[in-house]
Amino acid sequence: MRPPLRGRGGGGRGRGDGGARGRGRGGGGSAMRGRGGGRGGRGGGRGRGGGRGGMKGGSKLVIEPHRHEGIFIAKGKEDALVTKNMVPGEAVYNEKRISVQNEDGTKVEYRVWNPFRSKLAAAVLGGVDNIWIVPGARVLYLGAASGTTVSHVSDVVGPTGVVYAVEFSHRSGRDLVNMAKKRTNIIPIIEDARHPAKYRMLVGMVDVIFSDVAQPDQARILALNASYFLKAGGHFVISIKANCIDSTVPAETVFAQEVKKLQAEQFRPSEQVTLEPFERDHACVVGGYRMPKKQKAAS
Amino acid sequence: MSSKAVIGLSWEPKIPGLTQPSSTFTAVASTSGCKNVISIPESSGLWRPNSELVDGLFLAPNDPKKLNKLLKKQVRDTAGSSWFNMPAPTITLELKKDLQMIKLRDVIDPKRHYKKSESKALPKYFQVGTVVESPTDFYNRLRRKERKTTFADELLSDFSGKNYWKRKVREIEEQNRPASNEKWKIKGKMSMKRAKQRRH
Repeated sequence: MRPPLRGRGGGGRGRGDGGARGRGRGGGGSAMRGRGGGRGGRGGGRGRGGGRGGMKGGSKLVIEPHRHEGIFIAKGKEDALVTKNMVPGEAVYNEKRISVQNEDGTKVEYRVWNPFRSKLAAAVLGGVDNIWIVPGARVLYLGAASGTTVSHVSDVVGPTGVVYAVEFSHRSGRDLVNMAKKRTNIIPIIEDARHPAKYRMLVGMVDVIFSDVAQPDQARILALNASYFLKAGGHFVISIKANCIDSTVPAETVFAQEVKKLQAEQFRPSEQVTLEPFERDHACVVGGYRMPKKQKAAS
Repeated sequence: MSSKAVIGLSWEPKIPGLTQPSSTFTAVASTSGCKNVISIPESSGLWRPNSELVDGLFLAPNDPKKLNKLLKKQVRDTAGSSWFNMPAPTITLELKKDLQMIKLRDVIDPKRHYKKSESKALPKYFQVGTVVESPTDFYNRLRRKERKTTFADELLSDFSGKNYWKRKVREIEEQNRPASNEKWKIKGKMSMKRAKQRRH
């Protein structure tokens, strides 16, 4: 069965992704979780608000730079996080687009980044100090799923950056590959993130690792990949789902345990934010890897 | 005699220009005998041969320091490569109104709450965009008549908040009205002010 050329054909395919999600979590064989089912997020703009929403087709917005590099905010009646579209005229997962005509006649397009579908967007809105994913950065993305967040990461790093997107599930990997066809800075890798040796020939040294694998041993997976690909003084961003690691203890304890594990693996976590309004019992931890020792004061 | 320059000296020596490099220099003595036409590659953006300048309105400085300063001034102001060179548009009256409106949008709708913005100043780098309508939300879009050119117009065309705004404006006007002569007023027939009249 050949995959259809367009990323998401219709409702039927969306449901298919949902199936992948169930399998990924139960089987435990895959290090990737096929998150991001068809359209899990908001149930299509119409469900909420009932026409009151400010993001109707044709409405005007003002786009300003966000505090984080490569990210913008669209301000109107509603605010939205947006990224500059690398492929103008194309939406990846039926997200809203905003087109801008510059004074000199050039056209630019932005895509709305939904924090309910993307942990990274939720972390940005949660007020994380630095996500380290900036224009020109090389990013290793573990747990790419269908590539909804990956497409925004590719927007952020821009044409000078690279995103290596690792996903184990073939089903959602198909969407990922289709999306990567149009975005030249994404390198899709359909492999198990537990075995980075399998894709070591594809991935170069990276500046940042983003890990969204909801697996009990995700700290180990991250450490393994970092030891292969992350440069000394590089950074990591990991999203931790408490339920996937240990559902018997409170979430805060799980987060603390995970941070301890990371510290044992030469990571230096610098901050932790909860993704509370957008995800339940999730935390996002950001930090450095093999950071240089602090200079002691002159004796 | 007519071919000679009107201004200048007829006996002026032919001196090549001061700035031109010797490799690209081709001096063509014009008929006037006191002017040189120098061809310089197009790539030097600022420098123009004298013949192309309009009556000496602009003369590129010879000093490289000054030249660099001038070049820097000519580069369009952008937010930098970290934000993909987002330009700083020229602020028109409409744009300014829009930006102010967005700054004050928390008073527009009492049921909507926004994050406080960090600064009171208007943003310098921004772009005005239009939401692209997709076929999936056909029933939740702005029709052609409802579309406006600016954010402020869009807001005004939406009548749902009109009563609220009117009430608020009235309230504020009430508050700001100068203190009236309330205490001089005669409140009614049986008030203390009328007491004297009643006695007579």
